[in-house]
Formats: sequence, C-alpha cells, structure tokens
Amino acid sequence: MNTSPITSWDGAEAIFTWADSPTMMAIALIGALAVTVGAIVYAASHDKHAYASYKPK
Amino acid sequence: MEQELAQLVERVTALEGGAGWAGTVNSEIFYWWCTALMITIHAGFLAYEMGASRVKNVLASGIKNILAFAFMVPTFYFFGWYIYLAFYNGFIPAADGAAGLPWDLSMGPNLADNATGIFWAAFTLFAATTASIFSGAVIERIQTAGFLILAILLGSVVWILGGAWGWHPTGWLTVKWGYHDVGAAGVVHMVAGFFALGVLINLGPRVGKFNADGSANVIKAHNIPFTITGLMLIIVGFFGFLGGCIIYIPGEQWQNIYGQPTTLSAFAFNTLMGMAGGIIGAWMKTRDPFWMMSGALIGIFAAASGLDVYYPPVAFLLGTFGGFVVPMVAVRLEKMGIDDAVGAFPVHGIGGLIGVVACGIFAAGYPNVGEGYPPVTLIGQIVGAVTMALLGFIPGYVASLILKMFGLLRVPDHIQEIGLDVVKVPVEAYPEGYIPGPVTTIDPGAAPAE
Repeated sequence: MNTSPITSWDGAEAIFTWADSPTMMAIALIGALAVTVGAIVYAASHDKHAYASYKPK
Repeated sequence: MEQELAQLVERVTALEGGAGWAGTVNSEIFYWWCTALMITIHAGFLAYEMGASRVKNVLASGIKNILAFAFMVPTFYFFGWYIYLAFYNGFIPAADGAAGLPWDLSMGPNLADNATGIFWAAFTLFAATTASIFSGAVIERIQTAGFLILAILLGSVVWILGGAWGWHPTGWLTVKWGYHDVGAAGVVHMVAGFFALGVLINLGPRVGKFNADGSANVIKAHNIPFTITGLMLIIVGFFGFLGGCIIYIPGEQWQNIYGQPTTLSAFAFNTLMGMAGGIIGAWMKTRDPFWMMSGALIGIFAAASGLDVYYPPVAFLLGTFGGFVVPMVAVRLEKMGIDDAVGAFPVHGIGGLIGVVACGIFAAGYPNVGEGYPPVTLIGQIVGAVTMALLGFIPGYVASLILKMFGLLRVPDHIQEIGLDVVKVPVEAYPEGYIPGPVTTIDPGAAPAE
C-alpha cells in the first residue's frame, strides 16, 4: 500500500500520510475519534464494574 | 569588477536566505522548549494531587491526572484549535478558522508550515493546565468518565473559547473593550477556577469532610513535601507557559498575544517579583508551606495580566496582596460547605480575578494596536473578568449537573470510605507499608491543610 502523497521532495508541502486522499484521512480521523469516545465509555463501564464487584479481602 | 559584484550579490542573497531560515527554525525551537517546560506543569500537578490525596486514593488521583493530559491532546486536535481560530467574534465561527479543522493540510507534517504544529502544541499544553487545575479540586470522589468529560469540556472547549475572545489579536473583548490579559490570568486561571467551583457544587464534599452541624474536618494530605515539590515544579513550568504567551517574530521585537511590542525581560521582571510577593504574603497569613508555594502561583496570577508593562514593585505588591488574601477565601469557601481539596478556586479563580482587575487599575491607559481598538481601562477589565467567571462557572455547573443526573459524577460514599486504589487500581502505591510520622499538635489555623 502506498501511503505517501509525494513522489519527490522538490516543492513538497503537506507530506503526511494520505495527505492526498481525503477518504483515508477521514477514516483515520474517525478511528481516532472512536477510540477517544470509546475510552470514555470504557472508563464509565470499568468504574461501575469495579464498584459493584469489590469484595474486601 | 562585474563578476565580483555578481558574486557579492549571490553571497548576500544566500546569507539573507540563511538568516530567514535561521529565524524560522529558532522560532520553532523556542516554542518547542516552551512546550517541554509546560509539561513540568502537568508533572507538578500530578505530584501535588497525589501528595494531597490520602494513601488510599493516591494512585487513583494520579491516574485521573494522567488521563486528563492524554485526553486533552486528541480533543484539542479534533476541535480545540479550531475553536481558537474561528470563534474570536463570539459564538458565530469565522470562515478563516477553517485552518484549524483537523482535515486542513496545515494540521500535520507540512514543509511549507513551520508554525501551526508548534503553536497547536503550546496551546494544547495550556489546555492541559486548565484540566489539571480542575483535576486537583475534585480528588478522591469523582468518577473517571465524568471527570474526563468535564476535563475535555474545560480544556478543549471552554477555556479556548475564552482564549479566542480575550487572548487573540482580534478577540471581541480586546477589540471592543481593550481587554488586556497577557499572562492569561482570566482566560486560563479564572475560567478553570470558576469551572471547578461550578462542578464542586454538584459533586459535593469528600465523605467525612463535614459534620452534621456543618463544621469542617481537616482531611490531611498524605505527603505534604511531595505536594510542595509539585507546586515548585509548576512554577518551573510557568516559565514555559509565559514564554508561550509571547510571539516570536524572526527579525523583529517580541510581541504579546495582542500584537503589542514587549520583551522577555519584562516577563522575567514581573513574573519573579509577583511570585516572590505571593510567597511572602501567604507566609505572613498562614505560615503554611503549602500555602506559601500556592502563594507563589497566586502572586504570578495576580500580576499576570500586566506582566508586559508593570513596574516590578507593582507586581510584587500585587503578588503580596494576592498571597495574603486568597487563603482567607479558601476558609470562606469551606465555611460555605464546599470542599475544594487543593484550593483550586481560591488560587486560580480569585488569584486570576485579582490579576485581571488589577490590570485595569495599574495598566490603565496603555494603548492598543488595532485601528480604533480602545486602550486598557478598568471597565474593560471588569467586563473581561465577569465574562471569564461566567464562561467558566456556567458550563461547569450545567455539565456536572447533567452528569450527576446520569450517575456519572460522584463515587458512591461506601467506595470512598474503602478508598479508590484498592477498588479499581491494580497496583499499590506503597506495597511495603506506609508508616506515618509523629502527628503534629499544632492547629492548622486559618488555612485548610492541603
């Protein structure tokens, strides 16, 4: 898979992965958003589970 | 002769090109190290929160603080930077803010743009500072998810909206009211402090903080030296923070965030003088080393809005005043039944308020740079202070109320009594046992012990 938006460094500007592919940029961005939101949901779930399942040793 | 002249022209052109690149790269380097220094603010808050917690909650407090930093980075990338660039007129976004959207070609490695990434990084660390300020106030009883939602709201939305309004060359507070806040006393510290206050009202106190008759108990920090060291680290980080408040333009004089000329020397004079005054003022009031180091911060905030123009003894006196007065606000807050575990509202909210209003008195009349923009006035600073207080308090109160309704805000009381570390952290802070020293018999006095 070719992820580079450039074929030469001469005159290159935006050089990040998939800079020439809005679709791939959107997929990566949505993935990052999903991880961020998902981690908050996970935090809520983990706290709830920890409070409910704690048993004194 | 002609050949020599041509060679000379060629050399001068090459030298000019090299000097231009040196300036661009030096500017990047400057903000790179400001950002690195600002990470010590977060390290300091981490130490100070963990030290201020009881042994049973040390690691949970640390986890919360670390997560705030981690979540601030992507969310400030997703929408924080856009808010700063787009919302300088109020609530309607300007078209030129699109450069801050995460799919703009400047929001990633770009050989034609040496500025966006480094400024985004510095502002992200400002955002992390606001989240850390809030984080300390709510230790030992807030749920992780609720905390994260509130931290993101504060760090990647609310404060940066205040930044767009009052810490931007064309922000409406500056354009219409001459608002002057070079060191972010209002846009960072007031907003974060008042946001924390709004949350604390809904969150409630730690179990055992207040008795049935309303009197307060002292909940002792488990490690005061760690807390004090953390506060000193925050001071170190503030030199990065305040450096990041100045614009480096290659080949020209420094400018403040509003485009007015300034120097790093000005900031050095007044930051240190304010800090020293704050320590002395807090020491005279409390004799408590925690409050002395908090006083150092208060002193900086009390001078922050006018760091670029104050006569240094003025900054010192403002710092002394802030350091002396703010611990009394902490006592008053506790008497109102609000448990602010590290004094976040008094230190940042009131310290920042002193800074913003004082600028309207001691920097009144300094001219603005934009065509038709008003100079610094007391009225303009009061308008700014009220705006920052409301901008912090209302979202903090409303969002925490909603989280409370959904059961995502407060850790259940019986879990607080057990301690958060043993319930949800897989490792122990002090596995070989924590041995407390002799208990002091001195009354903590006027200020709540940290």
